[in-house]
Amino acid sequence: MSAVVATRARRRATRPVWEEKPTVIGRSAKALILTLLVLAVLFPMWSVLVTSLASRSTINEAGGMVVVPREFDPSAYFTIFSGGQVTQAVWTSTLLTVMGTAVSLGLTVLAAYGLSRPGSLGHRPLLFLFLLTFLIYPGLVPSYLVVTGLGLKNSLWSLILPTAISAFNLVVIRAFFMNVPSELVDSARIDGAGEFRILLRIVLPLSKAVVAVVGLFYAVGYWNVYFNAVLYIDDNDKLPIQRVLQSYILAGQTPHVTGNAPNLPGISAYPPTLAIKMAVVVVTVIPAVLVYPFVQRHFTKGVITGAVKG
Amino acid sequence: MTDPLADAATNRRNFLGLIGLGAAAVAGGGLLAGCSEKAGSKGVASKADKGVLPKFKAVDMVKPDIPGEGPIPQGFLSYPTNLVDAISEKPGSGGPTIKTMAPWWGPVPPGLGRNSYLDAVNAELGVQVDPSLQDGNTYFDKLSATLGARDVPDLLVAPNWEIDKIARFSDAVKALFEDLTDYLAGDAVDAYPMLASLSTGAWEYSVWGGRLYAVPFPTDGPFAWALFQRKDLMDAAGVAAPTNVDELYQAGKKLTNPGKGVWAFGSVFDMVQQAFGCPGVQNGWRKKAGGGLEHKYETEEYRQALEFTVRLYKEKLVHPDVIATKGADEKTLFNGGKILMYQDGLGAWQGMQGEQSKVTPGYNMQPVPAFGAHPGTKPVLWGSEKPIFFTFVKKGLGADRTKEILRVLNWCAAPFGTKEWELRQYGVEGKHFTRGPDGPVPTDLGRKEVAEAQFTFLGGRVPAKWKSSDTPNYVQDYINYHKASIQYLEPDLFKGIKLELPANYSKVLQPTEDKIRDVLNGRRPLSDLDQIVSEFRSGGGDEGRAFLEKALADNGR
Repeated sequence: MSAVVATRARRRATRPVWEEKPTVIGRSAKALILTLLVLAVLFPMWSVLVTSLASRSTINEAGGMVVVPREFDPSAYFTIFSGGQVTQAVWTSTLLTVMGTAVSLGLTVLAAYGLSRPGSLGHRPLLFLFLLTFLIYPGLVPSYLVVTGLGLKNSLWSLILPTAISAFNLVVIRAFFMNVPSELVDSARIDGAGEFRILLRIVLPLSKAVVAVVGLFYAVGYWNVYFNAVLYIDDNDKLPIQRVLQSYILAGQTPHVTGNAPNLPGISAYPPTLAIKMAVVVVTVIPAVLVYPFVQRHFTKGVITGAVKG
Repeated sequence: MTDPLADAATNRRNFLGLIGLGAAAVAGGGLLAGCSEKAGSKGVASKADKGVLPKFKAVDMVKPDIPGEGPIPQGFLSYPTNLVDAISEKPGSGGPTIKTMAPWWGPVPPGLGRNSYLDAVNAELGVQVDPSLQDGNTYFDKLSATLGARDVPDLLVAPNWEIDKIARFSDAVKALFEDLTDYLAGDAVDAYPMLASLSTGAWEYSVWGGRLYAVPFPTDGPFAWALFQRKDLMDAAGVAAPTNVDELYQAGKKLTNPGKGVWAFGSVFDMVQQAFGCPGVQNGWRKKAGGGLEHKYETEEYRQALEFTVRLYKEKLVHPDVIATKGADEKTLFNGGKILMYQDGLGAWQGMQGEQSKVTPGYNMQPVPAFGAHPGTKPVLWGSEKPIFFTFVKKGLGADRTKEILRVLNWCAAPFGTKEWELRQYGVEGKHFTRGPDGPVPTDLGRKEVAEAQFTFLGGRVPAKWKSSDTPNYVQDYINYHKASIQYLEPDLFKGIKLELPANYSKVLQPTEDKIRDVLNGRRPLSDLDQIVSEFRSGGGDEGRAFLEKALADNGR
């Protein structure tokens, strides 16, 4: 009997600390800290949402961002969507995101697969070229010249092709592909499968996680396209959503000029309320918030792969 | 001709050429490739020659209630009942679509083909104008790219502050835009009477390398800043508008009440500097008594202004958001009565007064009359007659086409009180606006489809202020403030001289301002000013001084 107790005591003493049953204090402390962290993340979002639904007088009283909701006033959303311009831009951006993600993902997967097969032709120099784009950016004017020279200006392709492949995403997917057991690939090859069939039937189904994650990266990137649209899209009807929403945020703001703020005629006639600005933030964030839960389960696995295996 | 891509059609050789050009641009070798970069610029100064300027002829179709004077706009206290038909002939002669590009700070209206306002104006013009409105806050990048790639539209609107940032802009002007001297100089402008009515002071700035290259969009107020007060709340607190800095400080003491969430001031430093008489020309230069130039940082006035403002900050008379961050939303703080005085451009006035009086009865936003630091001293108010925008015409379109485009610009310059003006400003009656007792009221369609950047920004116009029902006293208040303050407007030493400042000088300005900000909010002691000034001088300030002194000497000033 006493021997058993002694063994238990010894076992307890040697047990590493994380195997101990957590104390009540420890658990509540953890809960408290996590709750605080979650609140720190949720609080600004809450404030944005509430402000977007607040009336002008509530905003005035708060002197800016509202925390405590007083009323439900969706007029800011009506203002944004009444023009027709925002709805148009939402369609443009949706099309851009779907098309762009498909193109980017297709190209990246194909390139990554090619580069992940050790024997493929010239894969080292090619990989080097891809990695070079990490370091060297072509510059504003040269990029502009190439895009306009190819006749892409004012076309959605100007937002897709120049940024179709991100070297980072390529490296992540390639690392994942390299990790697919070569036995599987070899056995498929013995069964008579060609490279495309191996990619589609063997490698891709095993890499759903990373493809989902990279797809999300691309999709968010296309949804957030802004600067290239400023450069390449002149046609007001083809502007993506971020560029249009940004114009609501800035409406009526005098441009920031050191020392000599110009008197711009007309632009301050209808300055937007803070509510409109916050409604814009909500509208911009919603798609990411909606899509994220579906991709989330792949997220950790997909991203960590790239991190620990080179 | 108007399709910018037409001459860039892609074939293999062309594409290789593009790659080559791209490489040249990277190396900074292309003629305009340097447009987006300031590196290495030593600065260029050129002067306006009076002979190339259009001869001024006023257009007296509608008499203003308060006549304009120099850079002070005309005032109209009621909307005219009989509009004048200023231009009887259609300006367009059926040429191809005129593509334009202009900056805009607001929601983007629908484009040509989906916009009934554009259709209405284009029908009146007799030629299609296809405006492209670009985000005003990133316009510099857009401008750099289009100039660098020589991909300019038929009409390009460039704000003066963006031009100042673009190195070798005068090279770009010569290479890309039409020389308008022969079309507009002297009496030649008679063919475009509305353009002839723009002030000579504005035209003087449109000259590059001795030739006239652009149509100016005159400013409707020369002042860079005003100190605004919430007159309703100040009256309620029994505090009169300050007339010197001591009173300003006392007002701050009386009005600040952190317990109620009220502070007297937002940003005020630029206004304080002007009260103390600091110079503001080209970011702060003036002639020294013994010859040569001195920068405001080196003056005693600046030191005093800084000392005074540091005191306001230290004694917490300035709203904590303004102390903590650069980008505090002072307009919202002011509207909510959280700050009672702050500096802003005069352009902010009408919009804020109009919108806010709807939700805050009695809301009264007024500029504090300009005051000197001490009783008996005079302020120096910064500003100039520099036009807000310049409109350039693409080079090589041919004389007939250029004339057609200038006729369109002439139409776009029609003044307040003309039918052309009303169509341009509001659209079609019954569709884009309804006629109220105080003049046109935009409909929802009007608000959606009409933006000044589509036509008004193109042609310049004689600046005017007119009464609107939501800001009944604005016109008188605005013009009275200007009439009272114009005597303090600092003369522009460099008027009519085009300056492309040395790169080192341009680069040292913002970092120096950031250091001064650190002094203001207490991160650095006041005694650091000497060090900051010597860093400013060695970092490019002295180079800027030498350049500007030479520019003055070359022009015999």
